[in-house]
Amino acid sequence: MQALATIYFLTLRSLREAVRNPAQEVGNIFVPLFFFAVTVGSIGSIAADAFGIDNFTGFQVPVAILSAASSISSSAGLGTITDIQRGYFDKLLLTPAPRSAIVLGRIAADGVRALVITGVIVVVGLIFRTGFDTGVPGALLLLAGSFFFGMAYSGFNAAVALRTGSPQAAAAGGLLLFPLIFLSTAFAPKEVFADWLQVLATINPITYILEAQRSLIIEGWNGLDLLRGAAAVLGFGIASFVLTYLALRWRTS
Amino acid sequence: MSAIWAEGLTKHFDEVRAVDGIDLDIAPGAIFGFLGQNGSGKTTTIRMLTTLLRPTAGAARVDGLDILAEARAVRRRIGVALQEAGLDDIQTGRELLTLQARLFGLGGGVRRERVDELLAVVDLEDAADRAIGTYSGGMKRRLDLAAALVHRPTIIFLDEPTTGLDPVSREAIWRYVNRLSAEEGITVFLTTQYLEEADRLAHDLAIIDAGRIIARGSPAEMKASIGTDVVTVRVAAAAALDRAAEVCGAVPGVERVQVADGAAVVYVPDGARAVARIVLALDDAGIEVGDISISHPSLDDVFLQATGYHLQVEEPPAGEGGAA
Repeated sequence: MQALATIYFLTLRSLREAVRNPAQEVGNIFVPLFFFAVTVGSIGSIAADAFGIDNFTGFQVPVAILSAASSISSSAGLGTITDIQRGYFDKLLLTPAPRSAIVLGRIAADGVRALVITGVIVVVGLIFRTGFDTGVPGALLLLAGSFFFGMAYSGFNAAVALRTGSPQAAAAGGLLLFPLIFLSTAFAPKEVFADWLQVLATINPITYILEAQRSLIIEGWNGLDLLRGAAAVLGFGIASFVLTYLALRWRTS
Repeated sequence: MSAIWAEGLTKHFDEVRAVDGIDLDIAPGAIFGFLGQNGSGKTTTIRMLTTLLRPTAGAARVDGLDILAEARAVRRRIGVALQEAGLDDIQTGRELLTLQARLFGLGGGVRRERVDELLAVVDLEDAADRAIGTYSGGMKRRLDLAAALVHRPTIIFLDEPTTGLDPVSREAIWRYVNRLSAEEGITVFLTTQYLEEADRLAHDLAIIDAGRIIARGSPAEMKASIGTDVVTVRVAAAAALDRAAEVCGAVPGVERVQVADGAAVVYVPDGARAVARIVLALDDAGIEVGDISISHPSLDDVFLQATGYHLQVEEPPAGEGGAA
């Protein structure tokens, strides 16, 4: 009970921080939307002929969502560093609140921020006429998925921040997702890749998260895709929480 | 029961012995001063006693609770204001205290009442709804102190609470600390590198150097333990200092001479009478006196006697402290 209360209060604190620093949130949404618009504008018209994708705008929406989640999580790592450097993290550790809940508070806030930013990107996508084949239930599932992915990915950055205490390392941790995005089916289906890239895309969990999100937007309900996507998010989550737990133990030992 | 007890408390960082087997036994309600210069082991000791750092060896109990086995219970009983005022610049003062109160489980009306009470105690009512980032260094320290008190702890740890503050802010913090002990019976564990602070506040004092406690007692007891007055002699020619110390040491009544910071520090009973003999002896030896002064023993003399050097105070870079 105390753990849940701690997570709730510290999530509110981190969200308040985000609201009072709107420039950072504008940056988090602007960059993914910029690349979304440029990608769709530059190769959208040839996507049907080249890749067999009719709705390339809808195809690209999940890429914008994951990029935005990456930016958010990167800033969360920096937030943790700031707390450590100012001594505020110690102040939190000196309360009787469970220590894992202290870290989860900020991570949960990142989940909420990812959810909000996903909503904005979906609305922009609708303005670009992406449509949404699974309707409102699918949109809600997409938002829920973004919430959990935002938390899972934020955990990696929290782990880097706790282990290193270095702003540079925390910023670099946020970039981990970008190579994974480029080595996935972010810009084209696997079938058009070179053999080596097909192998990498197949073992890359981001591929399955993108395909699950795309199925909701442009294909309709597809149980297998959703299951694979959920498993990938869960795998990310477990890995990041284990790393975060170990980093927290290291910092407090 | 001791408020704070430790035996053989030790912390090593690789090859560095930051704290090297210290023993503590602090009475409830006392203001305990822990005096030492930067890097002597004060902060590491406080971080172990407040459960932020695991000791390498030794044992400690705070309010009767084991710092390792009962760490969360310890945290419920203690308030801590660390050296860097651990605050969040984006929150307001009131929001920070409210969050702190919530994390300690204070609910509804009690929480609001306590936050208002503390804001009044530390004179921050007018600034309560401003972002902490706009506060001066002194205001931040006062808010940090209030945050440490929000759950009515029985023991409070203050790590160099006045370092870098101007005299007015320092005086205000001293007033609050005295009030905590005298009116609320709170045990105060206070680290400091300021001799005056230790002298003014501490009922009980330990001097730490290189991770070891080298002197222990009340400030008055410590100064009395020197048992002599202190005559400080500076000679006109620095090259003659060692010879001057030798000459002083041979003057009848002189118990001991130390050379530190370009002066010969002479420990002698009844310094006022001895000073004439010292000057004459130096004159006979052909050593010109540059300056000579007599003082009753200070904590600095206690420190010098125990370590062989004066306490060096390191202030934080400009801009980190601040006015009230």
